[in-house]
Amino acid sequence: MPAMNAERPGPITLVATGCGTAIACVCALGLGEIERRLGGVWSVAAVGVAALLCAGLARALARLTAVVPSGAGLLAFLSRGLGRRWALLLMLPYVALVLALVAVEARIVGAVSARLFTIPPAVGALAFVVFTWAVARSGVRLGLRAQAVATGALVIGFSVLAVGSVVAAARRPDFVAHLLPATPSFMALLGGVGQALFLFMGFELVTNQVELVRAPGVIASALSRSVRLLAVFYALAALGFSTLAPEAAGAGLAGDRWLTPQLGLGSAGGSPLGAAAIGILCLLASFTSFNGALLTLSRLVYALASQGMLPRRLARMDARRMVPPDALAALLAAVAALTFLLSTRALINAVLAGSAAAAGLVWAAAVAVRERPPFVEPGRPRGRQIAALALASLFLVFGVSALAEGFAAPSAPAHVEVAVAH
Amino acid sequence: MTVADRLGQALACFVEAYQARPELVAEQRGWSPVIALAASDTGARAVVSLEDGRVARVGGEARPATLEVRADLDILCDVLMLRRDPNEPYLFGELSVQGAEADFVRLDYIVSRLCPQ
Repeated sequence: MPAMNAERPGPITLVATGCGTAIACVCALGLGEIERRLGGVWSVAAVGVAALLCAGLARALARLTAVVPSGAGLLAFLSRGLGRRWALLLMLPYVALVLALVAVEARIVGAVSARLFTIPPAVGALAFVVFTWAVARSGVRLGLRAQAVATGALVIGFSVLAVGSVVAAARRPDFVAHLLPATPSFMALLGGVGQALFLFMGFELVTNQVELVRAPGVIASALSRSVRLLAVFYALAALGFSTLAPEAAGAGLAGDRWLTPQLGLGSAGGSPLGAAAIGILCLLASFTSFNGALLTLSRLVYALASQGMLPRRLARMDARRMVPPDALAALLAAVAALTFLLSTRALINAVLAGSAAAAGLVWAAAVAVRERPPFVEPGRPRGRQIAALALASLFLVFGVSALAEGFAAPSAPAHVEVAVAH
Repeated sequence: MTVADRLGQALACFVEAYQARPELVAEQRGWSPVIALAASDTGARAVVSLEDGRVARVGGEARPATLEVRADLDILCDVLMLRRDPNEPYLFGELSVQGAEADFVRLDYIVSRLCPQ
């Protein structure tokens, strides 16, 4: 008799969960970086290529989830296919960079709240981290449906602003120049696709919900639909960024404002309400993502500590709230420290590039593992295995390119260069 | 001894250890899950029902399981006999659970309290 659960998420909630984990405020920064290196249709092309690769990954993950339906997700899949040591080695940079991304997200929240409420960015960032930690510490986990609503509102709001930006730009004489900037270098294109992979990072975590739905087919469908939805959303957002008016794009470079390119999109319509609305939606989406990330990471820390891989003290569980308080406190300290340490644009770009590379590495491993026991079907055609090898290689190539490009010196955004040229 | 007997015996061992800790039982007041243990390699299955934190029934499924734990028989027996922390096979994909997160976090907590460190 199968286990029953009245709170099983439906297909729409699962797709929203996949997209919501991938879409965070830091993605606007990633899109801004792609725009800076490529611009216009080239940015859209980079998103398209990354989406194609992720569609292949989604198929591989569907198989992995069907064979090992584990909430431990990638770590469990890689352990079964490659052994524990390799799995831990591969996952370590990925998890460390997720923590760094959470800190970058906090910095962005600080910058957004500074624009919305005129408070110092550091105060906004720290208040956000402490408040979200306090909610997690009290044992409150926001439901998947709440996350779905927050994600849906952000996607719709952002898409409307992006379309508005494109429509407004269509009346300007430099519209075509914005859409079709100069052909980027081959390395910039490779790096741009690598950065676009970063935008999808997190969609694969929908596999963790298999414990709740226990239907690998539903997870498979949610994975591929998430990739499609993310592709459309990011392509629209990339177009919106490409067609920003020069003054809105230029304003985004001043002070800490490069951290919040989405607010430039919000104010492009000339109304401060647009920027405020997108700012509030960003705060809401960050809060729901942050809450889930803290609780999930704290349980990973707890589990690793109970194995002696981290200090045993972190494996204490609060019997009433069912959260590991010491693990959560350690995460709070790490995120707060990283929020202050990641203070320069170069460091934050390095985190984005490193995340793209780490995701590329882990995803390449996942695609390769799918062709190994216990996941590979007997008699699987050799052509499929060669295709999987090619896909894994592409993930590695684009990941490394993102790393190389991420450490290159920042330059003016492609569309600002276009504006200056005109 | 059949595989079902082995699993049943391991479960009895776990239930005994749990009931011997009244403070742990008291902490689970208000928790009433039906927990199924399924051996993925042999097909053996055992069920335990809790009412308000106390063991109400071992064996048989009067109502559908709210939580299902699945692993090879050896792993299940090792976990139930408190020879192995369930986090280890869980993290590395050798033990999976089906059900609400709150339920399996609580079950994990109980096992970790019973397991000698």
